Amino acid sequence: MYRYDEIDQEMLADRTAEFRAQCERRLAGELTEEQFKPLRLMNGLYLQLHAYMLRIAIPYGTLSSARMRRLAHIARTYDRGYGHFTTRTNLQLHWIKLKDAPDILDQLAEVGLHAIQTSGNCIRNVTADPYSGAIAGEADDPRVWAEAIRQWSTFHPEFSYLPRKFKIAVTATEADRAATQIYDIGLRLHRDAEGGLAFDVGVGGGLGRTPYLGPTIRRSLPARHLLSYLQAILRVFNRHGRRDNIHKARIKILVAQLGAEEFARQVEAEWEASDNAAVDLPDEELARIRAGFVANFEFLPEVSEVFEAARAANKAFARFVRHNVVAHKVPGYAIVNVSLKAIGETPGDCSAEQMDLIADLAERYSKDEVRVAYEQNLILPHVKLDDLPVVFEALASGGLATPNIGLISDIIACPGLDYCALANARAIPIAQDIAKRFEDPVLAERIGELKIKISGCINACGHHHVGHIGILGVDKKGEEFYQLTVGGSGEGDASLGQILGPAVPAGRVAGAVDELVGVYLAERREGERFLDTVRRTGLAPFKTAVYADAH
Amino acid sequence: MLKALTANRLADGEVVFWSGERWIARFGLARLFDDDQIAEAAEAHAKTQITELVDPYLIEVSAVDGGFAPVSYRERIRALGPTNKPDHGKQALGGADVEVLVHAQGAARSKGRVDLIRRK
Repeated sequence: MYRYDEIDQEMLADRTAEFRAQCERRLAGELTEEQFKPLRLMNGLYLQLHAYMLRIAIPYGTLSSARMRRLAHIARTYDRGYGHFTTRTNLQLHWIKLKDAPDILDQLAEVGLHAIQTSGNCIRNVTADPYSGAIAGEADDPRVWAEAIRQWSTFHPEFSYLPRKFKIAVTATEADRAATQIYDIGLRLHRDAEGGLAFDVGVGGGLGRTPYLGPTIRRSLPARHLLSYLQAILRVFNRHGRRDNIHKARIKILVAQLGAEEFARQVEAEWEASDNAAVDLPDEELARIRAGFVANFEFLPEVSEVFEAARAANKAFARFVRHNVVAHKVPGYAIVNVSLKAIGETPGDCSAEQMDLIADLAERYSKDEVRVAYEQNLILPHVKLDDLPVVFEALASGGLATPNIGLISDIIACPGLDYCALANARAIPIAQDIAKRFEDPVLAERIGELKIKISGCINACGHHHVGHIGILGVDKKGEEFYQLTVGGSGEGDASLGQILGPAVPAGRVAGAVDELVGVYLAERREGERFLDTVRRTGLAPFKTAVYADAH
Repeated sequence: MLKALTANRLADGEVVFWSGERWIARFGLARLFDDDQIAEAAEAHAKTQITELVDPYLIEVSAVDGGFAPVSYRERIRALGPTNKPDHGKQALGGADVEVLVHAQGAARSKGRVDLIRRK
């Protein structure tokens, strides 16, 4: 995990002091809203429908228990006792007062948290695989590289005024739990033919009104050249990215217009011409960063009698283990997914009490670490098998043991029109409707992996393009309608979903999902997930089921 | 079409409405303008109140069962609070005017808000 030294802490304190003065000037009328807005946005403070929203950065989704407790304290003291974890692994507080914002930032800074890189046309908070350092098969810990990128990119003078915002994700397994193909830059870490650490570099992925999966422009870039190569990509973007039209300013548009090959050629030329040694990370600095991510594990037996006995005796625990617990790279440990998708609740919401509980469990049972997944869930990455029954009971007592990871009720939903000033339609109630319809855990288990992703507008914060079933809220003659897509995936087998047909009214969405599931259950072959069946059969049977009444 | 004047309060972001005398939290007490010129003059004046308000704009209002409500769904959510948390926002205050908004039907684009988004 990153650690701030004295210089970093001083920088955070200075920045908050500066923002405090800017807030005072705004409240006194010395700054107009037009003048102040870019300043507050640079400190993560947005104005939404009901209040200010503070977006707090959680670098590569990693939190210590102390940081989680501080988030709980702030949610309790300055908000309404909860926060919302987003698909960018940040935390959003939706009921913030402008006059409190500087105090909140001061309190965040005390534990090394902040809202830097959560807004503006800069390199945003870097995300990584939430199982980093815990899952088997990683070429390296992606957080080491995400942290290097964070340190390099924070307040980078050359890249603080890009044509548009810029998002980077890092993964180190083929499963791609960081959704790297829908990022401006997606970095996939692996061992090259000689056994050296290397990145496949994807550029120009993104969702929104023009969705693309990012093409790989460079295979097996030696890892030590990562920063200079990123610099070359960003220089080409800064040089040619459009600034005249906000809808065409993301790098995906530039890559699509130039073509991946030509874009790659320009990046390579820029890279060859630059003084890369001045940018690339010295080995000793990389080693210093790496030291912050070393976890010491005990030698434990592969089989835990305590765990096996609990699993045999307690059906609810066994179900939780089947869906929420993943094998750890170290024998005797497990990765525990904590669902923030309790049936009927708001996806991604977490109360201050729940944050405190998770912080306590992390401190006691998970080497003081919590992770945030872009699918709006939390993770305790290093739990001993022996401790799993106790952790499960504690999670259950806090409403945090819903056994639905990857199942139909584990739905991504953006805040939508209930909170967001940009939304066209609500996303949360649609998620709640669907989750309630498939509340029966036996049915959900029979359906198996099915990822539903809902966005309240075309900006696609809810990743609807890459949902196995995607749901996009649209404004149709002033009413909330929802366009369905099927066949998308944001993972290693990434693909963009295809539009099923005309948008349906809000009251029809859960029923339509039911019909899609019905087709899947009737059509599926042995071992097929919903996504596999859609890919095999195509849209036709699904379309027929949903629009049967229209014919 | 009737209009009401709304904004977010600078200090805390709270949704407020112009009562004709002051900025208030409840839509039920908002002044309803039936004269566009007077409404626009009130909006222009609100735009000068920079130490109190952010982004004032006019919204369309229509008669519904029991009273009046913003025409657009978005504005009704602003006037009530988020639909996923009935205990948050102005809906938590309860009262007859809140009930009118909760049960108001029909939806339409919020022109004022759309214009704001376009400017962003």
